[in-house]
Amino acid sequence: MATDKTKHLKCVLDSHKIQKEQALLDKHITKKDEIKAALKEEYGSKMYEPFNSGSYAKHTAINTKFDFDLVAPYKRDAFDTLKEMYNAVHDFLHKKYSDEATVKKQKVSIGLEFFADEDGHVVKVDVVPGRELNQDQYKDDNNINLYVHSQLGTIPEGSERLKTNPKAQISNVKDHAEKESVRHDIKLLKIWKVQNGKKPKSFFLELITIKAFDKKDITGDLWDKLKAVLEFIRDEVKTISLPDPGNSNNDVADTLTDVEKSDLSDDMKYMLERIEENSDNIKLYFKVNPDHPCEDKMEENKYNVKREGVSAPPATRFG
Amino acid sequence: MKFFCATIGLTLSISETVVSKLILEGRKHYPKEYGGILVGRYSDDSKACIVEDTILPQNHKSSRYAFERGKEGLAQKLSELYEQTPRLIYIGEWHTHPDSAPFPSATDKQAMLQIANDNGVTIASPVLLILGLNSTSYTLGAYLQFQNQLIRYEQQD
Ligand SMILES: [Zn+2]
Repeated sequence: MATDKTKHLKCVLDSHKIQKEQALLDKHITKKDEIKAALKEEYGSKMYEPFNSGSYAKHTAINTKFDFDLVAPYKRDAFDTLKEMYNAVHDFLHKKYSDEATVKKQKVSIGLEFFADEDGHVVKVDVVPGRELNQDQYKDDNNINLYVHSQLGTIPEGSERLKTNPKAQISNVKDHAEKESVRHDIKLLKIWKVQNGKKPKSFFLELITIKAFDKKDITGDLWDKLKAVLEFIRDEVKTISLPDPGNSNNDVADTLTDVEKSDLSDDMKYMLERIEENSDNIKLYFKVNPDHPCEDKMEENKYNVKREGVSAPPATRFG
Repeated sequence: MKFFCATIGLTLSISETVVSKLILEGRKHYPKEYGGILVGRYSDDSKACIVEDTILPQNHKSSRYAFERGKEGLAQKLSELYEQTPRLIYIGEWHTHPDSAPFPSATDKQAMLQIANDNGVTIASPVLLILGLNSTSYTLGAYLQFQNQLIRYEQQD
């Protein structure tokens, strides 16, 4: 039996809607707010207002990976070095949360993975510490330097001054994701990444999807559009540059090594070939979230009324 | 008679009495086309539509290949049915196809689309019954205007 690829993808997207995991989403928001309050209490006037920069803030979240990233912007004089900042924030979070969460150092963030609660829910929040470049400059342009704790693509471990602007990053992706087809393709790529344990960061997938829509005339149904983006990645990823909307001197393409880019291109190539061979194979790469299988649309079909009240049918000609 | 639309999961029921009435009225005008509106109700879960009666038009024009249903007096009659218990509402249209199959013509499809989108019509999915009539027998085709398409029901019994 052939699979209707667009129908399947719609179902995949539908099953990954964040509203379908409202309770878990609420818990993420609560934890994020709690961590934010704890940081503000600890650092007071040494920091600016922490804010969420993850997929949820960018409207590209899926319910199997909420991507809650809490950016913690510090004042220049809060720490002597970025490394000191990174370690201090880690130590604080570890001290505060280690009896309810695994707290670990990641590439530029500190990951908190809370132990499963009575509903089996696991809340994950990444805290991204950053420091303004010069005293009081953040207020003017929202730029901060991040600390690269472990190698990030071609950016070496221990790099100081990875300058960026998370607020500009959020609004750039959010603005592009207002277009439904861009948002859908970003979400589908994230679903593929999570389900298949793939490398690229969400931000990388967001930017390359946006670029595909910029460079190519992408039209048609959901599968046509996804196919065009997969082909774009296959053909362009090895040489593409993806300027960071938070700092055009950063190339987000550098967050993958050449080998990782080549693997990604091959992944796209094989995926496209296998789906071309047999449409059923689309289900191997993009799976419906089994916790929220698509209700058969039939359940929703009804004899609807547009409004209450008496109809006055118009004179009508039949043939 | 019971109809089911497998692709969308909605049913339509119409009693033999009503069908007989449509045939009787259709025959009176045969071999010209004729028709009227259908009144009935929806089940509580809105998955079933039950045709209870027809209202014949006070004014109409017809020929062998066309039928134009006027609207005089219909709104008044529908108001009365709306106020009675149990309430009956406008649920759609019917007309005959003398000596031909009960398949909707392009004009019929256009007509149903316009009705569904008419501001005076409060239901979203009007039903269309077409009665194919010849001098000795009849066939009934049932259709539903649903999300900009005219979908055929399958007869169940
Ligand atoms: Zn007709």
